Amino acid sequence: MIQPQTMLNVADNSGARKLMCIRIIGASNQRYAQIGNVIVAVIKEAVPNMSLEKSEVIRAVVVRTRKELKREDGMIIKYDDNAAVIIDQKGNPKGSRIFGAITEELRKFRFTKILSLAPDVL
Amino acid sequence: MRLEKCWFCSSTIYPGHGIQFVRNDAKIFRFCRSKCHKNFKMKRNPRKVKWTKAYRRLHGKDMTQDSTFEFERKRNRPQRYDRINTEKVLQAIPKISKVKATRQKDHITKRLSVGRVNRRTEDRRELEQSISLVKAPSVLKEDATLTLPKQKVTVSYAQTENTPMEE
Repeated sequence: MIQPQTMLNVADNSGARKLMCIRIIGASNQRYAQIGNVIVAVIKEAVPNMSLEKSEVIRAVVVRTRKELKREDGMIIKYDDNAAVIIDQKGNPKGSRIFGAITEELRKFRFTKILSLAPDVL
Repeated sequence: MRLEKCWFCSSTIYPGHGIQFVRNDAKIFRFCRSKCHKNFKMKRNPRKVKWTKAYRRLHGKDMTQDSTFEFERKRNRPQRYDRINTEKVLQAIPKISKVKATRQKDHITKRLSVGRVNRRTEDRRELEQSISLVKAPSVLKEDATLTLPKQKVTVSYAQTENTPMEE
C-alpha cells in the first residue's frame, strides 16, 4: 500500500538509497501501489558520486511491501519493509544488482530483467 | 504444492492457510495461524513456549530420534517420476504414519508410567498409614478383615494397564 509521501528503500545498486513516492502510474484514481506497480518517486537519499542524485525525479517499480500480498492459491506473503527498484521508461532496471527476495508477481507485469537479476524468487 | 511446517509451533501448514513473512535477509518465516504469527511478533522464543513442538522435543516430552522421521526429511535432489515408485510410496505412507503414531504414543505412555507407579505406591502407603481416619482402631482390632489386605504385587508395565484398583 504505497501512496504519495511513502518512503521506500531502494533494492538495487543504482546509487539511490531512499525514495519518496509522488504518484502511482496507471489509473488516475488509484490510491495505493502494490508489488509490481510503477510509481514516480523523488530521490531523498543517495550514495555520493553515482549517476543518481538527491531530489531527482525517477520511476520505480515496487518490489516489497509491508502490506501483505495475496495470491489466488491462498498464499499470503508480507515483507519487513517497503522497497522499489529504479527503472527507466522502458522498464529496464537502472542498477545491475538486486538485493532481497522478489516475488513472481513481477513476471505478470513483464519485469523479467529484474527477476533474472534477483538472488531469490518467491 | 508443498506442505510446510509452521516456524513457531511446527504443525503442517496446508495450502490456503497462514501467512509467510519474508525478513530483509530473505529468510522466510511461515506461520500456520495468527496465534503463532502474533507470538513471533512478540519476539517469543518457541523453545520456551510450552505448547510448541520445539519446547516438547527440547524437554524430552515428545519422541525426537526415530527411524520413521527419516522418511519425511526434505531432500533437495529432484526425483524423476516413476509410476511404480509413486504408487509404492502412496501405499507406504499410511503404514509409516501409523507406526510413527504408535511409537510417539508409546514414548509418552512410557514417560508417564513412572508417575502412575509412584501414585499407586503413594496411595497404598497412605491407605495403610491413615486407615484410622476412616475406621476407628478399636473396630479394626475386633474385625481383622476390615484392614487392607497386604499383598505383594509385582508392578510391571502391562499389569498396571489391566489390573483394576484394589480396595
